[in-house]
Amino acid sequence: MTAKRSFTILPFAVLALTAATLADAAAPPSVTATIAARQANFKKMGKAMKILSDQLKSSAPSQPAMYGAAQVIASNARRQGRMFPLGTGPGSGVETEALPAIWTDKADFDAKMRQLVNESTKLVAVTKAGNAAAIGAQLKATGGTCGACHRKYRAEDE
Amino acid sequence: MAEAQARVPGPIRVWDLPVRLFHWLIVGLFAFSWWSGENHDMDWHRWSGYAVLALLVFRLYWGFAGTSTARFAAFVRGPGAALTYARSLAQRPYVAKVGHNPIGGWSVMLMLAALVVQVAAGLFAVDVDGIESGPLSDYVSFETGRAAAKLHHLVFNIALAVVAVHIAAIMVYRFWLKTDLITPMITGKRQSASLPPDAAAAAVGLGLSWRALVGVAAAAAVAYAISVGFRF
Repeated sequence: MTAKRSFTILPFAVLALTAATLADAAAPPSVTATIAARQANFKKMGKAMKILSDQLKSSAPSQPAMYGAAQVIASNARRQGRMFPLGTGPGSGVETEALPAIWTDKADFDAKMRQLVNESTKLVAVTKAGNAAAIGAQLKATGGTCGACHRKYRAEDE
Repeated sequence: MAEAQARVPGPIRVWDLPVRLFHWLIVGLFAFSWWSGENHDMDWHRWSGYAVLALLVFRLYWGFAGTSTARFAAFVRGPGAALTYARSLAQRPYVAKVGHNPIGGWSVMLMLAALVVQVAAGLFAVDVDGIESGPLSDYVSFETGRAAAKLHHLVFNIALAVVAVHIAAIMVYRFWLKTDLITPMITGKRQSASLPPDAAAAAVGLGLSWRALVGVAAAAAVAYAISVGFRF
């Protein structure tokens, strides 16, 4: 009698346990994918920034290389604003350096994202023209908007 | 001259001027590099690093061309010498050495090695955003640059630990062995009363010879070439 009862309970117990484990260990696939995608975008932007600063160190910077890199930065910048939906912060259980302040101070975060879009759009324009001094100045301005946002909304990277 | 000095009790010069200048400039630049790095003031951080680089090039050269207490050959000793010295620490009163003792010599080499690795890593480092970078970072990939930056962080913490041991050792000498190591590093001189009887013979000069000039010129040239990434 006792044995039979425990057998009937077992499937439900297993189901409940599995559900609890899933909820604990893995955020919804969409959250994981969103965080992975925005991190990949940021990494592309970082590499493109390095291409620009590498070229500017050279005595004969390559205009096509800089123009291409600027386009990578600008196109990803426009995408990134939508990559921070509610629930994709550190509370999601997925490893992320995004700080909760992004969602508590969303208006400021969005404004900073718009600044990045503006400055990176200008960066595309100056790299198209190809004047190294102007590109250097605009690269600094664009990097400034990256840094301003990172200092406030990203966990310190060691 | 040396015999005459040996009979006259008084201060004996144990560190030449370049050694002392190197020491105190490194102290200042180490602190300034730390501060500028923490504050993301990367233009100043790079300048500070180039200055440290020049100082290191000079000091390594001076380890072969400097006065006797500056030379590696005089103070880099084997583990046997270090052990013998460690045992001698039990004797009272403690008698100071002219120049680095066999354990202090290793501490100097450890600090120099940490600084060399630290500067080298910084030259290739790239920040995670690809915005700030060392002058040689365009010779390596983004991933290698990131690895260099992580090494730069790690070695800084090691350097901090080594500096802490260095300062702790100075305190031990000061309060336990009653030996002041700081004043000689400022004035260059130590009272001969606290030194072995034959110390005067080992006294060093000010070190301001043509050799020092060659070293300064070489250090400046190497640091400049690296700071512009060998693009002239």
